[in-house]
Amino acid sequence: MKEKLEDFIRANRSAFDDKEPAENGWEVVASSLPKANGFSLWNSVMLWRAAAIVFMVISVYLIIPKANSLLEADNSKMSLKEFQAVEQYYNQEISQKVKLISEISDGEEGNAFTHDLQQLDAMYQVLKEEMKNSPSKQVKDALVLNLLVRINLLNQQLHRLEADYKSEESSV
Amino acid sequence: MAHFRIYTLYAKAMYNVGFRITGDEDEAQDVLQEAFISAFKNLESYRGDAPFGAWLKRIVINKAVTALQKRKFERIPEDEKWDVPEEDEPVLEYSGGLTVERVKKAIEQLPTGYRTVLSLYLLEGYDHQEIGEIMGINESTSKSQLNRAKAKLRESLMIKEVKE
Repeated sequence: MKEKLEDFIRANRSAFDDKEPAENGWEVVASSLPKANGFSLWNSVMLWRAAAIVFMVISVYLIIPKANSLLEADNSKMSLKEFQAVEQYYNQEISQKVKLISEISDGEEGNAFTHDLQQLDAMYQVLKEEMKNSPSKQVKDALVLNLLVRINLLNQQLHRLEADYKSEESSV
Repeated sequence: MAHFRIYTLYAKAMYNVGFRITGDEDEAQDVLQEAFISAFKNLESYRGDAPFGAWLKRIVINKAVTALQKRKFERIPEDEKWDVPEEDEPVLEYSGGLTVERVKKAIEQLPTGYRTVLSLYLLEGYDHQEIGEIMGINESTSKSQLNRAKAKLRESLMIKEVKE
């Protein structure tokens, strides 16, 4: 049983969305977005979940005795060299960004964000020790992940500071 | 900023969803803003099992229906004494032909309850069970409301000039 009216409505569905919302709609929504603290908390929670999972996976793997430890040793020499190059590059990136942030930031953002970084740094040191004692691809991967996570966090912080800076400028 | 991008993608469509239910531009604007604020606050609860737009739309609709319920003098009839069966569509042509403008105006002029059920069913694509959940009515009420809404809509489209 064909329904002319229903078919017509469905066929022209998009045409029924013709009304425009008010122009200041976004402003109203934006003004009640959670502030930086909330955002930083989300960041650290997600990051920590990621880091914790990686660390746990590695720990479990490391506890299991490896049958081919000789082969591992050879591989680990290669991966250590590789890793050091990567580490050097990322550490440079990180220290550059940290410098930038301390220049822009007036310190009020400081606490949660600095705390995240410090914890990530602590984790990094632990992983680095592990890399010395029983190097493996997994530990290397975890170290690289740590570095990437830190860089990502720093980038986000930089963007946030830039955005704040720009909005301050425009409100003058 | 991701929030802004999401807003620009969905604002117009969501505004229209809210307007069709509330029938009032200012109220629809409030509904739109509140819905986005709520969605952004509760982003973690979005599980990804439905498309984001569908999740957002449900928030908008819930807000709009709540706004309706706050109007003390307008109530969506709960009990139907008898089922209103689906009517066969009249064979006659709609006078003046069917145009989007005419149908839109006619929908806008429907009583709130009819307009809401019709919009949810025909435009937002919900089934009667979902409409029942949204509006706090049972499925059969939703069905009979829809049939009445369609009958009324057809009736108003038969009139040569739809009142502006």
